[in-house]
Amino acid sequence: MIDVFLVKWILALSPILTVLVLMIFKNWSGSRAGAAGWFVALIMATFVFGAHPVLIAHSQAKGALLSLNVLYIIWAALLLYHVVNETGAIKAIGIGIQRFSGDKSIQILIFGWIFASFLQGVAGYGVPIAVVAPLLVGLGFSPVAAVAVPAIGHSWSVTFGSMGASFQALMSVSGLSAPYLAPWSATLLGITTFLCGICAVHVYGGWKMTRHSALAILVVGTAMAGSQYILAVSGMWTLGGFGASLVGLCSGLVVAKLKIYNRVPPSQTQSEMGLGWALSAYFILIVIVSSGVMIPPVEAFLGQINLTLVFPEIISMKGWVTQAGKGKAINIFGHGGALLLYATIIGFLVYRSKGFYRSDALKTIIQKTITSGVPTSLGIVSMVCFAMIMDHCQMITILAEGISRVFGPVYPLVSPWIGLLGAFMTGSNTNSNVVFGVLQQETAQLAGLSTGLILAAQTTGGALGSMIAPAKILVGCSTVGLSGKEGPVLKATLQYGLIITGVVGMITLLFSFIR
Amino acid sequence: MTTMDNLLKKHVNALKTTALILMLAIPFALYAAASHGSILQVKLLMAVFIANMLFVMKNG
Repeated sequence: MIDVFLVKWILALSPILTVLVLMIFKNWSGSRAGAAGWFVALIMATFVFGAHPVLIAHSQAKGALLSLNVLYIIWAALLLYHVVNETGAIKAIGIGIQRFSGDKSIQILIFGWIFASFLQGVAGYGVPIAVVAPLLVGLGFSPVAAVAVPAIGHSWSVTFGSMGASFQALMSVSGLSAPYLAPWSATLLGITTFLCGICAVHVYGGWKMTRHSALAILVVGTAMAGSQYILAVSGMWTLGGFGASLVGLCSGLVVAKLKIYNRVPPSQTQSEMGLGWALSAYFILIVIVSSGVMIPPVEAFLGQINLTLVFPEIISMKGWVTQAGKGKAINIFGHGGALLLYATIIGFLVYRSKGFYRSDALKTIIQKTITSGVPTSLGIVSMVCFAMIMDHCQMITILAEGISRVFGPVYPLVSPWIGLLGAFMTGSNTNSNVVFGVLQQETAQLAGLSTGLILAAQTTGGALGSMIAPAKILVGCSTVGLSGKEGPVLKATLQYGLIITGVVGMITLLFSFIR
Repeated sequence: MTTMDNLLKKHVNALKTTALILMLAIPFALYAAASHGSILQVKLLMAVFIANMLFVMKNG
C-alpha cells in the first residue's frame, strides 16, 4: 500500500517538478515552464487521477477567476509605476535620498533596504533591483554588491508589496480572509525586515559595518515592521509594503542626520523634479486606498458590483469530491487594482497638468506596461490553471498527506522552505503562493497545525525567494553590465537567503508550540 | 517553415497578448459549455485551449 501511495505522490508532484526542472536546469521563463507544468498536470489528471472534461472545464474557469483577481492588481501596479517613471520621478527620488548622507552603510540601508522596498511596494517584478543596482554603482559600489544588496534588502516587503498582489494570491487560493492571514504573515515578515537589513549591510561591509549600522537598522526596522503590521491587520494590506517603506524612508532620513552617520559629507546633486512632486502620485494613492478601505460608506459604494460564478459539485472518476460553491468574486470598483487605477489616472492628470510628460508619453507608458505585463501574466495564469487542475483531482491533497506523514509536528520547520522553493523556481512570491498555497494549507490541516501560521511561513519563504530567484537576479545583472556573470551575485544572495529562511523555519516551529 | 518562423517572430508580442486574452477567455466559455452539458463543445474548446498553451510553451 505504501508503494502505491509513493507512486501516486511522485506522479502528483510531477507538474511542480516539471516547472522546477525547466526553470532551473533549462533556463525556461516562468510562462513557458508554467504551460509545460499545465500539460503535465492535464495528462496526469486525465490518465491517473480520474479527471473528465467537465471537471477540467470547471477547474479552468475557477483558475481564470483567481488569475483575474491577481492580474487586476499586477497590471494596475505596473501602469502606476510607468506613469510615475515616465516623468523621471523615480530618478528624482533616488537623487533626493542621496543628498541626505555620505555614509556607506546608510547609503546601503536607504537605497538597498528602504528605497528598494519602496519600489517593491509600488511596482515589484524585478523593478527594485533593476532601479537600485545602477544607482549603487553610481555611488561607487561594485556591480556584484550593487545587485546583491537590493536583492537581499527588498525581500521582506514582497508579500505586501506590489499593492499586496502576493497576499491577494494567498487569500484567493486558500479561500481565507485577510483578517485571518494578515497577523501571522505580518509578524513573520516583520522579523525578516530586520534580518534583511542586517544581511544587506553584511554582504557589503561584513560585521564591522553591520555593528556601525545597528542603531539605524533597529530604528528603521522597528518603524517598517510595525507599520507593515498595523497596515496589514487594519485591512489596508494593499499598502502594507508601500506604507511601511514610506515610513521607513522618513525614519531613515531622520536617522541619517545622526552624528555617527555624518562623518562623510553627502552628495550635492540636484534633480529637476522636487521630491514632493516625485512622490505626489503615491500620496494620491495613499489617500485613495485609505478612503476605499477605511471609510465604510465609500467601501460599500465601491463594493456594489461583484462578479463571480457558481460552481456545481464535481466528482472525479476516482470519486474525489470538490464541493459546490461560488468562485472567487471580483469586486470591480472596490478591488485593490481598481483603487490603484483611480490613483494612476489622477496621478497621470496631475503630472500632465504640470508638464512633466513628453507628447508621446501616454503611448510609451501603455507600450511599456504591456511589454512587462504580458509575460508575467502568462506565467501566473498557466500556473494558477494547473494548480486548479491538481486541486480538483486530489493531487494536492496526496502531496500534502505525504509531507504530513514524513514531517508531522515539525512541519513548520519545512514550510518556509517550500515557499522559498516556489519563488526560486517561478521567480515570484505570487506564483509560489499559487502553486504551494493549497498544499501548505491542506498539510497544516492534516498535521493539526495553525493554517494561518503555516501560510504565513509559506508567503515569508516565497518573499525571501525573491533574493535568490534567477529571474530577478538576471534583471539586476543586466542593468549593471553583469549579463552572463550572474554566478557571483547568486552565490552572495544564496547564503543569506538560506540562513534567513532557516531562522524563519525555527521561529515558525517555536510559534507552533506556543500558540 | 522558415517563412512561418519569421512571421511568428515578427508578430510574437501581439500573439503573446492574444494568447493571454484567450487564456483568460476560454475558461469562461468552457464553464458555459459545461454548465449546459455540451461535452462536444467542451472538448472543442479544450482543443483550442491546448493549442494556445502549446503556443505559450513554445514562445511565452
